[in-house]
Amino acid sequence: MKRLTAILAATTCLSGAAFADDERIVVGFATAETGFMQAYDKPAQDAAMIRIAEINAAGGLLGKQIEVVNADTKTDRAEGAKAGLSVIDQGADMVVVSCDYDFGAPAALAAESSGLISFFLCAESIKAGIQGVGPNSFSASVLAAVQGATMAEWAYNKKEARTFYRLLDTWTEYNKGICDGFDWMMPQLADATLVGEDTFLNEDASIAAQITRIKSLPEEPDAIMLCTMMPGAVSAIKQLRAAGINSMILNGSGVDGSYWLSAVPDLSNFFVPVQGSIYGDDPNPDVTAFNAKFKEVTGGDPSTQYTYPGYVMIDVWAKAVERAGTTETSAVVAELEKMNGEPTLFGPRTFTSELHHQNQARYLIVETNAGKPGVVDEWTISAPIPVADLMK
Amino acid sequence: MAPIMQVVFDALSLGSLYALGALGIALIFGVMRLVNFAHGDVIAFCVFALLWPSVDAVAIIFAGNLPWFLLIPFTLAVGAGLSVLSEVVVFRRFRRANPATMMIASFALGFVIRYFLLMLFSSRPKSISLLPGLSQPVELLGARIPLLQLITILVTIAVLIGLTAFLRRTRFGLEMRAAAENFTMARMLGVRANRVIMGAFALSGALAAAIALILGSQTGTANIMMGASVMLMAFIATVIGGMGSLAGAVIAGFALGAIATVMQVILPPDARAFRDAFVYGAVILVLIFRPQGLLAARGTKERV
Amino acid sequence: MARPSMLRRTIATPLILSALLVAFALVAWLAGSRPFNQTVIDIFLQVIFVVGLYTFVGNSGVISFGHIAFACLGGYVAAWTTIKPMMKGVSMPGLPDWLMQLEIPFWAAAVAGGGFAAFWALVFGAVLMRLSGIAASIATFAMLAMVNSIYSNWTSVTAATSSVVGIPIVRTVWPYLIAAIIVVFIAWAFAISRYGLALRAARDEPTAAAASGVDIPRVRLIAFVISGAIMGAGGALYAHSIGLVTPDTFYLGLTFTTLSMLVVGGIGSLSGAVLGVLILSSLIQGLRWLEAGVQVGASTIALPGGVQEIALGAVMILILMFRPAGIMGNSELTGRIARTEKPGEPGEN
Repeated sequence: MKRLTAILAATTCLSGAAFADDERIVVGFATAETGFMQAYDKPAQDAAMIRIAEINAAGGLLGKQIEVVNADTKTDRAEGAKAGLSVIDQGADMVVVSCDYDFGAPAALAAESSGLISFFLCAESIKAGIQGVGPNSFSASVLAAVQGATMAEWAYNKKEARTFYRLLDTWTEYNKGICDGFDWMMPQLADATLVGEDTFLNEDASIAAQITRIKSLPEEPDAIMLCTMMPGAVSAIKQLRAAGINSMILNGSGVDGSYWLSAVPDLSNFFVPVQGSIYGDDPNPDVTAFNAKFKEVTGGDPSTQYTYPGYVMIDVWAKAVERAGTTETSAVVAELEKMNGEPTLFGPRTFTSELHHQNQARYLIVETNAGKPGVVDEWTISAPIPVADLMK
Repeated sequence: MAPIMQVVFDALSLGSLYALGALGIALIFGVMRLVNFAHGDVIAFCVFALLWPSVDAVAIIFAGNLPWFLLIPFTLAVGAGLSVLSEVVVFRRFRRANPATMMIASFALGFVIRYFLLMLFSSRPKSISLLPGLSQPVELLGARIPLLQLITILVTIAVLIGLTAFLRRTRFGLEMRAAAENFTMARMLGVRANRVIMGAFALSGALAAAIALILGSQTGTANIMMGASVMLMAFIATVIGGMGSLAGAVIAGFALGAIATVMQVILPPDARAFRDAFVYGAVILVLIFRPQGLLAARGTKERV
Repeated sequence: MARPSMLRRTIATPLILSALLVAFALVAWLAGSRPFNQTVIDIFLQVIFVVGLYTFVGNSGVISFGHIAFACLGGYVAAWTTIKPMMKGVSMPGLPDWLMQLEIPFWAAAVAGGGFAAFWALVFGAVLMRLSGIAASIATFAMLAMVNSIYSNWTSVTAATSSVVGIPIVRTVWPYLIAAIIVVFIAWAFAISRYGLALRAARDEPTAAAASGVDIPRVRLIAFVISGAIMGAGGALYAHSIGLVTPDTFYLGLTFTTLSMLVVGGIGSLSGAVLGVLILSSLIQGLRWLEAGVQVGASTIALPGGVQEIALGAVMILILMFRPAGIMGNSELTGRIARTEKPGEPGEN
C-alpha cells in the first residue's frame, strides 16, 4: 500500500502545474473513488497503477515518466462528466473512465469531444467504444456476450449439456449482454434446446415465482444460464439451491470471486468464465506472480478478475504509444487498431477499425465445487461474434 | 403450469415481507403522521450490525456467528434501539412540523445512516451466511418450498397475532391505539405521548430487524441499499391499506405480494420485464377507486 | 389576467432571483474552469427542476414524487430528436421513420420535450388530480415507477437501461441560464394568475375555495401540466448537458434531491425553490472541495470519503429543525427586508 501511495503522491505532485504540453505524458483517471462503482474501479485502477509503475521503473514511455491525475466521479453521471473535464484540464493525454459503460460514458464523451482517447476500465458493452461513445474510445475488457457464448459452447461440448434454461436479470445492459451471447450461440449447437426462460430484477427480494417455473418443468434442465450480477446474483443462486435445484449454473464473469461464497455454503456445479485466475492456479505463472505483486502493493489479493483489465489497458496503450512514437490521438488509435492477437498477461487482444473491444477471447473456466473455486478448463469460442449480431 | 400451492406459498412469503414492512411504517404514521423514509435504512443497518466494520471484499462476521437464540434478540434490539434513537435525536423536534417537512427530515436521516454504513463498510455488497440451516427445501401440501419461506410466513403470522394481543390486551397497546385514533384527544386523556411514540418507534425498529433477518438469510447479502425496494413496496401498501390502519397495511402488503407473484406467473415472457409497470398501474387503479385506502383509518373499525 | 397592481407588487421576486442566477453564471464565466462551469450548469438544471416542482407542489400543497417522470419523458425526446439519424437507427431501431430522420437544434428539443411531457401530464393528471393528500403523492410515485419500468425495458424505442449516447453536448452556461430565468418567470406568472391564486386558495381552505366556485381538480390539472412542461424541458436540457440519457438518472435519486431542495428552501415559495437549490448546491460543492483536500499552509486537510453526504443530511435536518417551513417559509424575496423575515405558515397537505 505504501508503495502505491508513494507513486501516487509523486505523480500527482509533478502534475501540480496543470498544462498540456509535449514534455509530459499524463494519464487521467476519471473514476469512482466513492459510491458503489468504487468497488469495481479501485482494484482495476490499482492494477493500472502497477503497470504504470513498471513502465516508469523501466525508463518510462518515450523516455518520459508517465504521470497520473485523478478526479472522482462519485458514481454519478453528472459528476462523471465533470471528472472527465477536470482530468482533461489537468493535461491528460488519455482518459481512463469508470468500469461500467453507463457510469463511464459521460467522462468518455467529454474525452471524445476533446479529441482524446478514452479507455473504459472494464466495460463489457459494445457501446463502450466506436458504436457508442465514438471512434477514440476503447474498453480493456471482453464483451459480455462472449461470456454467455463461451459458457454455452463449453457446457455443450465439455459437459454434454443439452437442455438449457435462461434466467435474465433485466437490471443492466451487462446482464442482457451475457444472455445475448448465449442466444447467439444456442442455434449453433445441434440438438441443444432452450426448455424455458424467465426474467427477474436484481433488487427483487424473492425470486420464488421464477424458481417455481423452473421446478414445474417435466425435468430439471442440464444447465441454467444465469445472466445477472452482484448483489442480486448471490440472492438468486442461494434461492435456486435452497429450492433444491441442482442443475449446473452458468454465469458471466461478474460473479467471480470467493468473497461471497460464504453466503451459499458448499456451492457446487457452478461455473464462471474468467480472464485470469485470482485463486493462485492460473496456467500462466506470470498471473500468479502478478497477484503476489498486487498484494504487495495494495495489501490484499485481487478479489475478482475485474482487477486485470486495468493492467491490460495500460499495457496495450503504452505499446501503441511506443509504436506511434507520440501520444497524439489519431496515431495511437491507428496503432491500437493494428493489434491482432497482441499477447498480454491475460490472453491475446485484438482491436480493429470496426470494433474497439474483444468479440472472441480465451477464457479460463472456474468451477466451484463444494464451496472451493478453481480453474478446470479454458475455452475460446469457435468463431468471433459478428459485430452485426452484437448490435442487436 | 406451476402447481397452485407453490404459487400460493410464493405469494404469501413475498407478501409477508411487504406486510411486515408496511406494519413498521403504519405504526409510526399512526402516532405521529410521519412517513418514515429512514425505515429501509434501518433494515440495512440491522444486517450490517452483524458484521465487523471493514472495507475489504470479504466480510468479517461479528454478531452473525451467534447461535440463533442470541442472534435474533440481538438484531431486534439493534433495530429497536436505532429506531428509538432516531426518535429521540431527530423526530422529537418535528412533532409540530407538517408532513412534508417530516418526510424530508426522515429521508435526510436515512441518507445519513446509509452513508455512515458506506463509510464503515464501503459500497461493496458483503456476503453473510445467516441462519444457514434455513436454506433447505421442505415438502408441504404437495409443494416443495425452502424452509425459510415457510418460516417467513409463520413468523409474520406470529408477529401479527402477537401485535394484536399486545395492542388489545395491554394498557400500552390501548394507549397506542388511542393515540393512533386521535393523538391530541388521547394526550388530553392522560396518554403519555412520548412513551407511546417511543414504543411505536421501538416496535417499528424491531419489525425492521425482523425483515433484515429474513432478507439477510434469503439473499445471503448485506447491501447498503437492501432495504430500499421492500420499503417502497411497504410504503405503497401502507397507503393503499389506508394510512394509519394497521390491518389495512397488512392486507395491502399481502395483496401486493400476491399481485407481483401472479403477474410473474401469468405474463408472457416478453411482458414479464414490464411486471412492475403492471403492479404500479394496479396501485393507481386502487387509489382511484378507493382514495382513502382499502380500510379507511378514521371511524369505527377493527384494528389488527 | 393578473391585476396590474399585483404584477407591480410581485415583479421584484423574479427579477431578484434572475439577478442571483446571472451572478452565478458570471462567476462560472469568470472562473474559466470547465469542471466548475459544468457545476454551474448542473445548478441551473436543478433550479429548473425544483421550480417546476414548486409550480405544482408549492401552489397545490400536494407532494408529488412523480415529477421526475416528466423529466425522463423530456430527456428521451431530446434523444429521439437530436441524435444523428444513423446512430438512432443503431441504438433505437423501433422509432417511427419520421422521428428517425428528424434532427433539430437543442433548444427546439427542449421545447418539444416540454410539450411531450405536458401532454402526458395532461393524460396522467386527468386521472390523478382527483386525489388529494398522501393518496395523490403515492399515485404520482406509482406514475414515476411505471414510466421508469417502461423506459427501462422498451428496448427498441428507449434502448432500455442502456445509456443512449450521441446527444449533442452543450457546454456553455448561457442557454441553461436563459432557460432557468424563463422558468422562474413562468412559475411567477402562474402563481399570480387567476388559476394560481385559486389553487393556493384551494390549498389553504379547500372547502371555502370549492364553495366560491373553484374547480379544484381542474386548477390542479393546469398546474400539473405547466409544471410537467417545465420538467420536460429541464429533462431535455439535462440530456444536452452530459450528452446521454438513461432511465435511472430520472428516478428516486433525482426525485429526492429535488424534493429536499424544495422543502429546505420553503415549499410554498418560489424564492425558496431557487434559494434551496443555490444553498444546498453550494453546500455540496463546498463539502466536495473539503473532501478533495484543502491546502492550509504546508499541509492538506481532507475530510474522509462519505463525510460529505453525512454532513449534507445533518445540515438538512438542522435547517428543518429550526425552520420547519423551510428557509423562506411561504414568503418571497421582494426587496423589502421585513417581508422576507416573516416566517410563513406551512402549506397544509
